[in-house]
Amino acid sequence: MAFRAALLVFATLLLPQQAAQKFGVDLSGRPIVQLAPGNAKAIVLFFAATDCPISNRYIPEIELLNREFAPQGVAFWWVYPNPTDTADIVRQHRQQFNIQGQTAVDTDQRITQMAHATMTPEVAVFVPASSELREVYLGRVDDRYIALGQERAAATKHDLADAIRAVLNHQPILKPGGPPVGCAIVPLKGQ
Amino acid sequence: MRFLKHILVVAACAVAIPSTSLTQHSASAASSPVTWNHDIAPIIYHNCAVCHHPGGGGPFSLLSFRDALRWSRQIVTVTGSRYMPPWLPAPGYGDFAGARRMSDDQIALIRRWVDSGMKEGDAAEAPTPPHFDTDWQLGKPDLVLTIERPFTLPDAGTDVFRNFVFRYTLGETHFIRAVEIRPSVPAVVHHANILIDRTASLRRLHPNDWQDGVAGMEIQLDAGNTFDPDSHFLFWKPDTPALEEPAGMTWRLDPGNDLVLNMHLKPSGKPETVSAQIGLYFAAEPAVEHPMLLQLEDDRDLDIPPGARDFVVEDELTLPIDVKVFGVYPHAHYIGRELAGWAILPNQQKKWLIRIPSWDIDRQSVYHYREPIVLPRGTVLHMRYVYDNSADNIHNPNSPPVRVRAGNRSVDEMAHFWLQVLPVNTPKDGPDPRLLLEKAWMKHRVKRGPEDTIARYNLAAAEAGLGQYAAAAAEYRRLLAIHPNDARALNSLGAALESAGDLERAQAAFRQAIDHAPDNCDAEFNLAGLELRLSQFDKAEAHLQAMLQRCPKDATAHSALGVALTGRGDRSAAQIEFDRALSLDASDFTALYHLGESAIEAGGFDRAIDLLEKAKAQRPEDVDTLEHLAMAFAQSGRTGEALNELHAAAKIAPGDAVVHSLLSQLLAAAGSLAEAIDEQKQALHIEPREANGWNNLGVLEARAGKTAAARADFQHALELAPDHAEARANLARINRD
Repeated sequence: MAFRAALLVFATLLLPQQAAQKFGVDLSGRPIVQLAPGNAKAIVLFFAATDCPISNRYIPEIELLNREFAPQGVAFWWVYPNPTDTADIVRQHRQQFNIQGQTAVDTDQRITQMAHATMTPEVAVFVPASSELREVYLGRVDDRYIALGQERAAATKHDLADAIRAVLNHQPILKPGGPPVGCAIVPLKGQ
Repeated sequence: MRFLKHILVVAACAVAIPSTSLTQHSASAASSPVTWNHDIAPIIYHNCAVCHHPGGGGPFSLLSFRDALRWSRQIVTVTGSRYMPPWLPAPGYGDFAGARRMSDDQIALIRRWVDSGMKEGDAAEAPTPPHFDTDWQLGKPDLVLTIERPFTLPDAGTDVFRNFVFRYTLGETHFIRAVEIRPSVPAVVHHANILIDRTASLRRLHPNDWQDGVAGMEIQLDAGNTFDPDSHFLFWKPDTPALEEPAGMTWRLDPGNDLVLNMHLKPSGKPETVSAQIGLYFAAEPAVEHPMLLQLEDDRDLDIPPGARDFVVEDELTLPIDVKVFGVYPHAHYIGRELAGWAILPNQQKKWLIRIPSWDIDRQSVYHYREPIVLPRGTVLHMRYVYDNSADNIHNPNSPPVRVRAGNRSVDEMAHFWLQVLPVNTPKDGPDPRLLLEKAWMKHRVKRGPEDTIARYNLAAAEAGLGQYAAAAAEYRRLLAIHPNDARALNSLGAALESAGDLERAQAAFRQAIDHAPDNCDAEFNLAGLELRLSQFDKAEAHLQAMLQRCPKDATAHSALGVALTGRGDRSAAQIEFDRALSLDASDFTALYHLGESAIEAGGFDRAIDLLEKAKAQRPEDVDTLEHLAMAFAQSGRTGEALNELHAAAKIAPGDAVVHSLLSQLLAAAGSLAEAIDEQKQALHIEPREANGWNNLGVLEARAGKTAAARADFQHALELAPDHAEARANLARINRD
């Protein structure tokens, strides 16, 4: 297990370099080559699925965080990893839910692999480090959902917002207090 | 270093998700291949599709193999944890209709299917997916009520509990055999519950904004002054959009009633427009069975310290009569954990009504028994609820936990256990047995909470309903000792005293009620009614005129005013009031009766028959109405129909001498002399001191050739009334002949 985990750590550190040329495609099908300008302080990837109710319920929360942190140099991306979420479906979904932020359709799931995301909703936070992107957070947005069917009336711990603030304040970043809860990301055929 | 450590943990999580290699391993362990078509589709279609179909209450569809592939991992998780299908009661604690609990074998089979690579299987074995109509489930409703203003559910935030008023705008009463609630966006509605607001009280309480809905988890409605217990669970959840009542157990909607739809809504991530509709299906016949909702509760003891994990509240109630229990509705808010209800029968046997080991407000429901449970008189109903107000209870809406008491907000708590019961084995000619239930229930509530004035009021009203007027008056007085200015209690006290025959104190109570609530029309109406009873027509007229200034649409007040004016001798003014009453309510009995009587006097017999037939439809057992109707028929030459009405009247009131007298006259006119004599004798048996009656009997017997008997009758009449001119003349004539 230790060996496997170490391998993944290694992969994580290298992946951004390998994938530097391409981060999925935008809604017009054009490859995304850069997730943020060089001076960005952090990149937040929100893994979403158009048909996942818990993922959808977090949209207003993510939009709020986007509005709060974008002026402080944090780039937000809506990443749609599921093969069924085509650009057309995602475009419709953005309109329905009034999503403002920038969107990546992760057609080859390379962003998903880079972040090691397994679930929607799930969030990865990266910080640019020289020419690399370093993942500093992966997991839940907050503690509203403990498991499917176990839900708080309102969140009491805001893991993602705390992580972003920690990045901005150069403080240690805490790991999420619990697993992400939602809908498993559907693997690409053949994977 | 901190970052690196963090990534390590995350990576470990990532590989823990079922992977291809894991799937292959499990497949090799399976004893026989599990396929969608053969094994899984039937389970999913039967247990899940009712919500999980396009337009259904579930967030996604499960009507195809492709759907199942998409959601396979979630299906394994939520069936394994028994989050789905939603079903809270523990097995073995009540046999419920529509139970949604999957068997352990079914759950294991789904897991095996996913672990073995989710094979589709032989297409020939594929069952046909169930079909779900997007239209009304029971066909086109007889009446569709629509929300006054669509409600916009915000995109995010905590759950919303809101009450929407649907006005019943028809001018006549209907009995409802089925109802369907269409919430328009079922996916955001956790549950919905219809309450019947007999007095439009929620609208009165929120005159300016009721159209937007009223916030709150629970609401209290004003049931009015008559005993009219709400008797049906009208509860919607995603898998039961249409509710059909058992035959004969329909529920009633009267003109002016409102339906209040209490909705629990969950934000979806985008603003949702909720434009709910309620479809009503009318029954051809009125209800013949009248169930009642009983409640055990212990809100007063809900005072839960922060951190308390096992806070228990309890209640019990002894049944005064035999009942059948149709269903139960356990209700708590977020920190309820274990909810249980049971009955101890008179032979000490314990019968479970329900046990919910892990309460979840999001999945609350009404539970109907497959077969109603019969509980004999003397059974003790119990409820025991356990609350967990610790931070470990993830449903705790307060972070950190705070002291929690009973209340209407979601951060407050409740401890309610409702049962729908139908009285059984009760005597046919006794009082409404639900009054006995109400009395026992309210007496219990008063005992637990002497300051519970609603319970005191209801107890007194039940006693009044049972004819126990002195007890009722005493109970109203105890209530008034707590709230001396309660106009409704004063008014009801007046009514109880009037029924008990204490007219003087009744008048005083009505006057006090008017003083304390000059805008309320009830007490002034009752005072006027009492004055009519005392033939104080001027006073009654003044009170009714004053009252009609404030409540001009009150049909019964117009007809009462008509009675007062008739009493004063102003018949044309009375006529106008009766007409007004009928224009407001075509079924106003008093107006129909009096206008019918006037029509007879004016010689308009056809009109009289029409009016009195309508009056009879309202009160089929009113003997005066039947007598008047008989007179109108007789005057129109319809003797047979007249006799029918009088025979019906005699059946209802065999001790009513007037009915027998009238029958005698009609029978004589129809040539049935022997029967006429018989009826007149019956009348005289009831009223032996009626000189007219003896004279009439003498005439009939003379006509029948019974001279001696006739002579004795006339003499009897003259003994009772020496000045009776007809009897004297008849006696002279019979002696002469």
